[in-house]
Amino acid sequence: MATTEHDKGTEDARDEGAGNAVRLPRARTRGRIGFAISVFGEVLITVGLVLALFVVYSLWWTNVVADRQEQHEAAKVRQSWAKQPDGSPGPLDTGAGIGFLHVPAMGKGYEVLVKKGTSVPVLNEGVAGYYTDPAKAAMPWDTTGNFAVAAHRDGHGAKFHNIDKIKKGDPIVFEDRDTWFVYRVYAILPQTSKYDVHVIDQIPKESGVKAPGRYITLTTCTPVYTSLYRYVVWGKLVRTEKVDAKRTPPPELR
Amino acid sequence: MYGWIWRHLPGNVWAKALISLVLAVAIVFVLFQWVFPWAEPLLPFNDVTVNGGGSAG
Repeated sequence: MATTEHDKGTEDARDEGAGNAVRLPRARTRGRIGFAISVFGEVLITVGLVLALFVVYSLWWTNVVADRQEQHEAAKVRQSWAKQPDGSPGPLDTGAGIGFLHVPAMGKGYEVLVKKGTSVPVLNEGVAGYYTDPAKAAMPWDTTGNFAVAAHRDGHGAKFHNIDKIKKGDPIVFEDRDTWFVYRVYAILPQTSKYDVHVIDQIPKESGVKAPGRYITLTTCTPVYTSLYRYVVWGKLVRTEKVDAKRTPPPELR
Repeated sequence: MYGWIWRHLPGNVWAKALISLVLAVAIVFVLFQWVFPWAEPLLPFNDVTVNGGGSAG
C-alpha cells in the first residue's frame, strides 16, 4: 500500500512538473485564440450596431430631414402664389414646385408638394415628383394626357407610404395656384415590374382605358420597406374648380 | 478592440466614460451625415419609379 501510495505521489509530482512545463505555451495559444474570438465578436457587434443605425437612419432620420425640407419648400410655393396678383399669366415655376397633391385616403389633411422630375435628389426632398423620364408626364391643365407622379414609400418623407389605403372611387385632388383638379381613382395595380413603363403612358391601357383623357397616375415601390415591385394607382379627372380668394377646398377635402 | 480603446483613454473612469460618449456620438454623426447618404442609393430599398433599368428615386 505504502509503496503504491508513494509511487502515485511521485507520479503525480512528475505529472505536475510536466504540466507546468507545457502550460505556458498552451495558455499562450489559448489566449491568442481567445483574443481572436473576442475581436471577431466585437466586429460582429459593431456591424450589427451599424446596421441597426442604418435602419434608424433610413426609416426615421431621412423622414425628419425630408419633412422639414418639404415644409420649407411648400411654404415658399404658397408664399409665391400669395404674392402673384390674381389672374396673372402663370407659367408656373417648375423649379420650386407646381402645386400640391391632396389624397384624403392617405390621411386627413394629407398634402404633398409636387416638383419636376423623379430623380433621387428631387424625391429625397420629401416631395412627389412628376415624371420627365422615361416618359414625360402631361400637366393637369393639359387638355389630355397622364399626370404621372412618384414619391417615396419609406424614408425621405415616405409620402406614399399609405398608398395601399387608397380604394377605387377615392378622390385625388391636385391644387395649383388657380385651380383644384379633382380626380377619382378608377384602377389600382398592387404589384408590377419596375420595367412596366407603360403604366405612365398618356393613355394608360393597363388600367383599362382606351381613349385619350385627363388621367393621373401615382407610382411608388412595394412591398413596404423594399423596392421589388411598383404599386400603381390611376385616377380620372372628374372636374376642375376655380380656387377662390380664401382657397376654400373642394368638398372632397372637407 | 473596445477594451483596448478603453485602456488607452486618458483619465479616470468618468473621464473615460465621457470621452467614450463623445466618440460614439461623433461616429453616429459621421455615419448619418456622410456614410449612410452615400450607401443608401447603392442599396435596393427605395426605388419608386418605373423605368427602363437604372434606379431613380
